[in-house]
Amino acid sequence: MRNRSGALRWIGVPVILLWSLIPIYWALKTSVQTEADARATPVQYFPTSPTLQNYRTLLSGSSDVADQIRRSAVNIVVECGLATVVTVVLATLAAYAFARMQFKGRKILFYSVLATMAFPAYTTLIPLYRIMSTFGLVNTYTGIVLVYVSGFLPLATWILHNYFASLPTSIEEAGLVDGANRMQVLWHLLLPLALPGIISTALITFLFAWAQFLFPLVLSSDLSTQPLTVVIASLQGRHVVPSTLLNAAGILTIAVPAILALSFNRYIVNGLLAGSTK
Amino acid sequence: MTTPSPSAAGSAATGTPGSVAAGSRPPSDARRTRGVGSGLLPYLLVAPVVVFIVGLALVPAVFTVIQSFYRVDALDPPTRFTGFGNFVRLAHDKAVVGSIGNTGIYVVVGTLLSTVLGIGAAVVLQKPFRGRSLVIAVLILPWALPGVVEGILWTGIFDSTSGLINGLLSSFHLGGSHVLLGEHRLLTIALIELVQVWQIAPLSALLILAALQLIPGELYEAAEIDGCGAWSAFLRITLPLARPGIAVAMVQAVIATLNVFDQPYVLNGAANTAASVTMQTYFISFQDLDFGEGYALSLLITITTLLISLAVVGGIYRRVDL
Repeated sequence: MRNRSGALRWIGVPVILLWSLIPIYWALKTSVQTEADARATPVQYFPTSPTLQNYRTLLSGSSDVADQIRRSAVNIVVECGLATVVTVVLATLAAYAFARMQFKGRKILFYSVLATMAFPAYTTLIPLYRIMSTFGLVNTYTGIVLVYVSGFLPLATWILHNYFASLPTSIEEAGLVDGANRMQVLWHLLLPLALPGIISTALITFLFAWAQFLFPLVLSSDLSTQPLTVVIASLQGRHVVPSTLLNAAGILTIAVPAILALSFNRYIVNGLLAGSTK
Repeated sequence: MTTPSPSAAGSAATGTPGSVAAGSRPPSDARRTRGVGSGLLPYLLVAPVVVFIVGLALVPAVFTVIQSFYRVDALDPPTRFTGFGNFVRLAHDKAVVGSIGNTGIYVVVGTLLSTVLGIGAAVVLQKPFRGRSLVIAVLILPWALPGVVEGILWTGIFDSTSGLINGLLSSFHLGGSHVLLGEHRLLTIALIELVQVWQIAPLSALLILAALQLIPGELYEAAEIDGCGAWSAFLRITLPLARPGIAVAMVQAVIATLNVFDQPYVLNGAANTAASVTMQTYFISFQDLDFGEGYALSLLITITTLLISLAVVGGIYRRVDL
C-alpha cells in the first residue's frame, strides 16, 4: 500500500505541476521572444535570445495598444479593489448578525441571500444591463462595482457566516457581561478572531472580480471603465497585434492573481472549502 | 444569479449551501438566544446585503422570467406580450439550436474530465507528504486566472505554426502545422473545453480532496489486512466515501460548463462551430438588441442548470455516515 501510493505520487505530482504550469510557461516564453523567434520553425521550446522589449512597449511605450493596456490596468485595479472592500465590509456585518443574533425573519433573509447562489451568474446579465443603463451607470465604476458586489455578496456572507459560527461563544459572552455593546464585541473581540476568514473572503472576492469578462464587456463600452480582461480579448481579435506582445499583456494580466494565489493559497483553499462543503 | 463568475467556484461553492448548512445547525440556535432583544441592530446589519440581493439579484431574476414572455426589441418597439413567441423563435434559430448541441458537448466533456482529473489529483494528494501544500498552491493556480487570459495562453499551445502541440508533433516526426481550432467541430469543442477544464478541475480536486481527508486511515489499514489491493481499496473505500465531495465538484462543473463563455469567445470567436448558448444570449441581446429572445434563452439556461444540478445532487450526494 505504502509503496504503491509512493509510486502514484512520483508520477502524479509531476503531472499536476506540468499540467498547471506548461501553458503559463509557454506564454511567458513567447512574451520574451521576438515575433520572428516565436514564429520560427522548428519551434523553440526555450527562448534563445530573450528580450524584455514587449514589456517595455506595453509599460512605457506610446502606442495605442500600450495606452489601452495601461488604462485598463488602472480600471481593473480600481474596480476589483472597490468591489472587494464593499463586499467584505457588508458581508462581515450581515454574517455577524446571521451567525450570532436572533431576530425575526433571520432564516428567511439568510436563505434568500444564499438561494441566489444556486442560479448561474448570467441569469441576470440582461436585466442588470438594463437597470444600469436606465440609471445612467453604464461606463461608470459605480455600475460595475454595484454589479460585482451584488454577485459576490452571497458567497462572501456564507463563508463569513461559517467562520463566525465556528468561533467560541464564551469570549463574546464575557465581553457582553463586561458591558461592551454588540458592535464593540464585533470590533474588538470577534473581528481579530475572524481575521483569517475575512482575508479568505477578500482574496476570493478579489480573484473573482479580476476574472470577470462578460459583465464588464456588457457594462462598459469604452476605455473609461473597461478592465484588462475586456481590452486583452479585443486585442486578441486583431491580427495586427503581434502574438508576443499579446502574450506579454496576458502575463501582466495574470501576474496579480497568480502571485496572490501562490502566496496566500492556504487562505484561498480554506475559504473555498468553507464556502462549499461546510 | 449571483456570482457573476463564469469561473468555477463562485457558483460552485454554491452547490448545496442550504442542504449542507442544515447539518451543522443544531448547537448554534441556543447560543443565539443572547441576541434576543437586540432590537433594530441585526436588521441594520443585514440591511445592506438584503437590499443588494433583492435589488440586483432577485428583482432582475424575476424580470428575466417575466420579460421572456414579452417582445422586447430595441429595433422593434414597443414592448408587448408575445406568449411563447420568443421561445418559438429560439427553436427556429439555427445558431441557437447548434449552440445547444455545442454546449451539451461542453457540459459532458467538461464535467467528466474535470471530475476524473479531480479524483486523480485528490488521490495523489490524499496522504500528507513534504511539499504537499506547495503542490496544492500550484494546482489551484489555473483556477485563479481569468478565463479570457487562459484562452490566450492556450491559443499559444494550439497555434498551427508556433504552438507547443504542433511543435512536439513535428519534433517527433508526426507531421506539423495541423489546424487544431476551427476546422473540425468536435475537435474544436473538445480543445476549448480542455482549456475550461484547466480552469475548473483544480476546484474539483480541492473539493474531492477535502472529502478524502475525512476518511479515517484505519479503514485502509483494515482493508490491507483483509488482503484488499490498492485498486479495490480505491473502489470500495475512496470512491464511495468521497461521494459528497464528488457531487459538489460535479455541480460546480455543470454550472461552469453550461454557462461557458470566455474560452470559446476568445479561442474561436463568433463562429458557430463552437459557440455556446451563453454566447448566443450575448449575441442576441447585445448585438441584435433582441432582449426578449435573450431573456428567454437566459431563462432556459437557468432552468437547465438548476435541474441538472439537482439531479447530480440527488443522484450522487448521499449522506455518508462514518
